[in-house]
Amino acid sequence: MKKIFVLIGNFGSGKTELALNIAFEAAKRGKTELIDLDIVNTYFRLTERKKQIESAEIRLVSPNYACTNVETLSLPAEVASAFDLDWDTVVFDVGGDPAGATALGRYHDDFAALSPEQLEVLCVVNVRRPMAGTPEKIASLCSDMERSARLKVTGFVNNTNLSYATTEAELRDGYETLRAASELTGIPVAYTSGKREILEKFTAEGHDERYVGKLLPIDIYMHRDWETFTHLGQ
Amino acid sequence: MAQTLMKGNEAIAEAAIRAGCRFFFGYPITPQTEIPEYMSARMPELGGCYLQAESEVAAINMVYGAAGSGVRVMTSSSSPGVSLKQEGISYIAGSELPCVIINVMRGGPGLGSIQASQGDYFQATKGGGHGDYRMIVLAPASVQEAIDLMGDAFDLADKYRNPAMLLADGIIGQMMEPVELPEMKEYVVDPEKKPWAATGWKPGDKKPRAVVNSLYITTEELTELNERLQARYAEIEKNEVRYEAYNLEGAELVVTAYGTIARICKSAIDELKQEGINVGLIRPITLWPFPKNAVRDAVMADGVKGCLTVELSAGQMVEDVRLAVNGAKPVEFLGHAGSLLPTAEEIKEKLKSMREE
Repeated sequence: MKKIFVLIGNFGSGKTELALNIAFEAAKRGKTELIDLDIVNTYFRLTERKKQIESAEIRLVSPNYACTNVETLSLPAEVASAFDLDWDTVVFDVGGDPAGATALGRYHDDFAALSPEQLEVLCVVNVRRPMAGTPEKIASLCSDMERSARLKVTGFVNNTNLSYATTEAELRDGYETLRAASELTGIPVAYTSGKREILEKFTAEGHDERYVGKLLPIDIYMHRDWETFTHLGQ
Repeated sequence: MAQTLMKGNEAIAEAAIRAGCRFFFGYPITPQTEIPEYMSARMPELGGCYLQAESEVAAINMVYGAAGSGVRVMTSSSSPGVSLKQEGISYIAGSELPCVIINVMRGGPGLGSIQASQGDYFQATKGGGHGDYRMIVLAPASVQEAIDLMGDAFDLADKYRNPAMLLADGIIGQMMEPVELPEMKEYVVDPEKKPWAATGWKPGDKKPRAVVNSLYITTEELTELNERLQARYAEIEKNEVRYEAYNLEGAELVVTAYGTIARICKSAIDELKQEGINVGLIRPITLWPFPKNAVRDAVMADGVKGCLTVELSAGQMVEDVRLAVNGAKPVEFLGHAGSLLPTAEEIKEKLKSMREE
């Protein structure tokens, strides 16, 4: 059965990092496609890791002119392959905020034709980001994105982090805030994600599993070292 | 207070708000558009004014108007947009008004590119507009420093009744780092401290009308304005020079670099130290006033063979470094115009070759 993951969320919540991790994991088990659907921010996009993605035998669909510094508000026709071709897993990495989520609206009929168990629309949350720090702000951002995307969010992902300075305290604060956001919206917490060692420390604290969801351990692919600006991938 | 993960542009906007800025006039341009975008969401929450003008020229003139009333006001843009603002900046300086201008630099000349650059050093520090004016120019090397310098920019602008610029390369605007934000500050115009502010005059008021003006038609009056301004600039040069000195003790060579490029230089310096080669760094934080004494003293120290200036440009700050060193020791340049970042390896190689000369 084809499974489609759609990742939406606030700018800088970690959608692209999660998209890569979900796809790399899925590619070990079956045919996988990654869709870079970010048409709002030209910097730090999935397509920067094209070589790494393709060497894992994942098919990558990029916006027209991605990584050329030219921004066009257009979607490649190839996105249709997500729905028409035979994949085990497809991951959509979408631009930030409601503006970014708008790109999904065009595929409303295609998403509607899927059975509910085939689709996970995940709202990625990092409560350490501005404009996403309270349950009310998360709920309001989430409903704005749902309206733009013409999709219902099926679960939150607690991906709270401070980049290289992340500790289990970040996940703990994310947990507390998302518990309240979940009660406010009725949207379950589907996953908690983070680097393995941080996830282990967080789970050892013994939290209510209803607000932790499945654990999604991740490796870091997107971060650049700001002290040397080493370029990765391509 | 808990740390936040912020993009430089968002951090600059939030820091301005927390410094009491409640008026923002701007126009979108990559790579700084997150500043107006953030302001458009935050200003209404605080009862402030966010206005997207019809052009950069209009925006800077709105800043001019608001500055005349003494409030904390700012605009932001990126290189080509900042060029458009130059006339307004000269008028604001000529009218002796405080305001803050952000330039998140991208590649040039012309429309250039949307990648990071340091190609606007000349424009920022040498007077991009007409007339004998100066602008305080602050250059952050991290998102946290951008936050800290925003508060200082507003304070300095007020203290000297002069525009102040935060000159950030595009990397600062786009990178995300964990940061701590200062407490929120409400800024109220104090007529005692700002008697020049046009806050409303009524018949019968004892104080004279506040007039915002940069037109001095007689030579005597214009001379008087310029003498006043030059005396003020001399004060700024005396009081406000800032820089970071790194690893100068026993250095054989000194690197000068500002903004994020200084961080790459630091990595190169740290790696060279592992190899037993000692190189120092002077990172100007105020580009104007330029830390010329610090540069001169560091380069002229015993045992220092010369200086390397690294910039993401064809070489602009290097001219100020050469003026400071005044031919006494060699000053070499490493940099790229066209936004291709210098690497730590490249910098190390250049320093090693200078050592052998």
